[in-house]
Amino acid sequence: MAGDGGVGAAVKPAAFEYSVPDTLEEALELIGAESRPLAGGQSLVPLLNFRLARPARLVDVNRIPELAYLRKDGAALRIGALTRQVALERSPLVAAEWPLLREATRNVGHAQIRSRGTVGGSVAHADPTAELPVAFTALDARFHLRSSSGARTLGSEELFRWPYTTALAPDEMLVEIEVPPLPQGARAGFVEHARTHGDFAVAGAAVVLAPGRYAAVALLGAGPKPLRAEQAESALLEGAPAREVAALAAELAGGGYPRALMADLVRRAAEEAGA
Amino acid sequence: MDDIELPGLAHLAFVRSPEAHARVTALKVPKDAPGLIAVLTSRDLEGLARALPIQAPDGAEAADEPHPVLAGEVVRYAGEPVAAVVAESRALAEDAAELVEVDYEPLELVIDPALSQCRLVRWRGEGGDVEGAFAAADEVVSGRYAMPRLAAVPMETRGAVASYSADDDLLTIWCSAQDTHRQHKQLAAVLGRAAESIRVVIPDVGGAFGSKGSLAPEAAVAAVAAMNLGRPVKWTEDRFENFVGAYQGRGVQADVELALTSGGRMLALRAHIVADLGAYLLPTTAIPPHTTGMLMTGCYDIPAARVEVVGMRTNKVPTGPYRGAGRPEAAYFVESVVDDGARRLGMEPVELRRRNLVSRFPHPSPLGWTYDSGDYRRCLDLAVELAGPQPQPNGEWLAGRGVAMYVERAGGQFESARASLESGGSVSIASSTSPHGQGHDTTFAQIAAERLQVEPDRVKLSFSDSAVSPAGIGTFASRSVAMGGSAVALAAEALVDRCRRAAAELWSLAPEELSWDAGGVLSASGRSLSLGELAAAAPGLEAEARFESDLVFSSGAYHADVEIERATGQLSIKRVVAVDDAGTIVNPLLAEGQVLGGTAQGLGQCLVEEVIYNEEAQPTTASFAHYSLLTAAEMPPIATAFVESPTPLNPLGAKGIGEGGAIGTPAAVGNAVADALGGRRLDPPYTEEKLWLAMEESVQR
Repeated sequence: MAGDGGVGAAVKPAAFEYSVPDTLEEALELIGAESRPLAGGQSLVPLLNFRLARPARLVDVNRIPELAYLRKDGAALRIGALTRQVALERSPLVAAEWPLLREATRNVGHAQIRSRGTVGGSVAHADPTAELPVAFTALDARFHLRSSSGARTLGSEELFRWPYTTALAPDEMLVEIEVPPLPQGARAGFVEHARTHGDFAVAGAAVVLAPGRYAAVALLGAGPKPLRAEQAESALLEGAPAREVAALAAELAGGGYPRALMADLVRRAAEEAGA
Repeated sequence: MDDIELPGLAHLAFVRSPEAHARVTALKVPKDAPGLIAVLTSRDLEGLARALPIQAPDGAEAADEPHPVLAGEVVRYAGEPVAAVVAESRALAEDAAELVEVDYEPLELVIDPALSQCRLVRWRGEGGDVEGAFAAADEVVSGRYAMPRLAAVPMETRGAVASYSADDDLLTIWCSAQDTHRQHKQLAAVLGRAAESIRVVIPDVGGAFGSKGSLAPEAAVAAVAAMNLGRPVKWTEDRFENFVGAYQGRGVQADVELALTSGGRMLALRAHIVADLGAYLLPTTAIPPHTTGMLMTGCYDIPAARVEVVGMRTNKVPTGPYRGAGRPEAAYFVESVVDDGARRLGMEPVELRRRNLVSRFPHPSPLGWTYDSGDYRRCLDLAVELAGPQPQPNGEWLAGRGVAMYVERAGGQFESARASLESGGSVSIASSTSPHGQGHDTTFAQIAAERLQVEPDRVKLSFSDSAVSPAGIGTFASRSVAMGGSAVALAAEALVDRCRRAAAELWSLAPEELSWDAGGVLSASGRSLSLGELAAAAPGLEAEARFESDLVFSSGAYHADVEIERATGQLSIKRVVAVDDAGTIVNPLLAEGQVLGGTAQGLGQCLVEEVIYNEEAQPTTASFAHYSLLTAAEMPPIATAFVESPTPLNPLGAKGIGEGGAIGTPAAVGNAVADALGGRRLDPPYTEEKLWLAMEESVQR
């Protein structure tokens, strides 16, 4: 293999300092404008390799065990930011009570990516074609942020701003995602379209439905960030057929082909959710 | 290639132009940087390296616009190497490359080959009474068809390790390339060195698909750097460089006219073909468009044809061979116009083909090549037989079925092999061709073992080292079995003969009195010597053979069933039938592997693959995030079958099988898509949006 350390080490990124804190507090002291947290690295490392991201320091949070957990707390689901995506895919608790998360995660890249990639990393990276931000948006998740000077909690609407841009301040870290309970018997559907298996999604739709009680429709690829289709949700709650719900939601995707594609995806997701 | 480590190895990184066409007004190199050893610019190469050679195919005119090793005053594509940085590691070389300051003054961009004023290649072919045939035709059907630019995307990118020994003035270079011979010849030309003073070694290579047939300019820089510095130098291309700097394939458009009688007889064909060649002529750039032109009468007995091919300069990375290398283009152009002709005549596409297939061999095509052998009718019939039930449209899906034929030139020129009897009785064979994933070791061992009458595991193959490999041309154009394999067969036979003569000498008998049986010599009186005994009794037995032949022509018939989702435009390939005639098949498993792999690449071209340059001539598909490749999940069922019409031109009867899948598949899928769309013709890739828009337009009409 090429390079086995020393001066000859074969790394692609521009030079950076590297820290491996053991605790969240230490990590929060380290991160800042020039200092980025490194979690699963599935998006950050390619950006580093292209030298599109050039942080002065990487703060490797992978050895902070307190950031990786998946548990039910009261009725809510709490997901530590460092939890690997594969945990959502395999958890019986998630499958039973928040099946949308399981379905969305299964669409994330390939198995290798889901094994290494973290839930918090996907959220904080805010790729407009990522599945988990859309699923969390559909589930009214709350995002808990910490910095060395304090803590705050944001909803999806406030957190996601633009492609690859969130409301996280440079010295803030996403530490937990809290997913509120769904009504008993709620069903979900997540359908996306990608050019090939495992490729980035072109568009997608997440639908949650508990007839008469709860309805959510969130869209991937309809804008610069995850969008809730409120008119479609109202119609869904009132028992409108999937096709009608889909037509309302697809209006948010603009015209022409993106709209036709979105209509098809929302219809299929709504049907999976029982509409 | 990247696994090769040498003591004192230095590493190379390139400064590549971000501009697609610009004058270099200033170039400032860093004096010092961590680990920096040297920076090379075009000025440093003066007297040490000249531009890469150009190879013009027979009858083609090629402009003198070669690829410089490093850009001089002008850069002509985004990604062109401008300077090279040598440092203690690749990472440090990349760091130092960022410190090289280059000022560019942008020049006018040419993106569309139709708007280019600079013709790099021109070829014209004509045969028969073209004007008379068109005047006499009942129907003239015409169309414009195009194939996009594609990236070959081998698993292993390009690269080279160069090492120079001043003591014996020997330059050794390990390249991730398709063969030693072309690298050797081109490197000698670029460096102005005697071939004997260069040794080229091709280690195990992770795929090429045509894209490693020319010397990489970067490899020549590695050679110069190694000689200048007296240290070995490694260049391992990264994936981004491969997308912007490695030559691409296809990018060809054709206006085709076919003259027909109302009874379905093809009378003549005319075509004007425009190739987007990119910024320079690499050694192999002119070859694919010439092949396209020469094959424009396809499998059909068309008495007259006139074809003009022009290759235009654009501000993009040059093109060159990519699996099929001109043949998929020809098959797509011919088979599209034939299908459009069938539609015009109201005739079944299969029937129109049947009425016009070449059926007698050798067949001189009006464009000048002679098809040696084939059974085109059998290929077509078999493809139809293997097709499943006709797909039916429904409320959600349109359905279409397409068939396409192809004829492929393979082989030609020469290859050689040397067979040596080793102590213990095993046989070593040095072949002049080079494997890079095709399984030469297996196939060639079979060929030799059959002639030696031994088990294949007694035969050991060696390839790809110019210091020991016999003379040849290389591995490309589906020619290794036909040419290299035939040379192996002849060398094995020559070794048998050599062994018989050696035994005859030992026994004081005439060689004619001895027979060869089960891997040993046998006399009429029952005396015998096995290979092992011969090796002990007469050490050093060896024989070499050279095999030369004209081109051989493989052929095939492909069949595709597709569905198009009405709501989304998604194209779903339901089934592909691949029938190939590559003459005698030596190893059916490896041959089928070639068909499946080629078909997968052909499907990639149909579904997702396209290199895109934006209005600034910047490549926007320069990573896997943007250039998509199919996965196993997208593969439809593929039924394969072989028709074996042996060629009379070589002792194996073998033709070429390496490219058929990539040639037949796009043409068949193209016809299936047109069938689903009621005759509306689109060009690949058949993206959802393109298909959806076509369906919308037809609804509105």
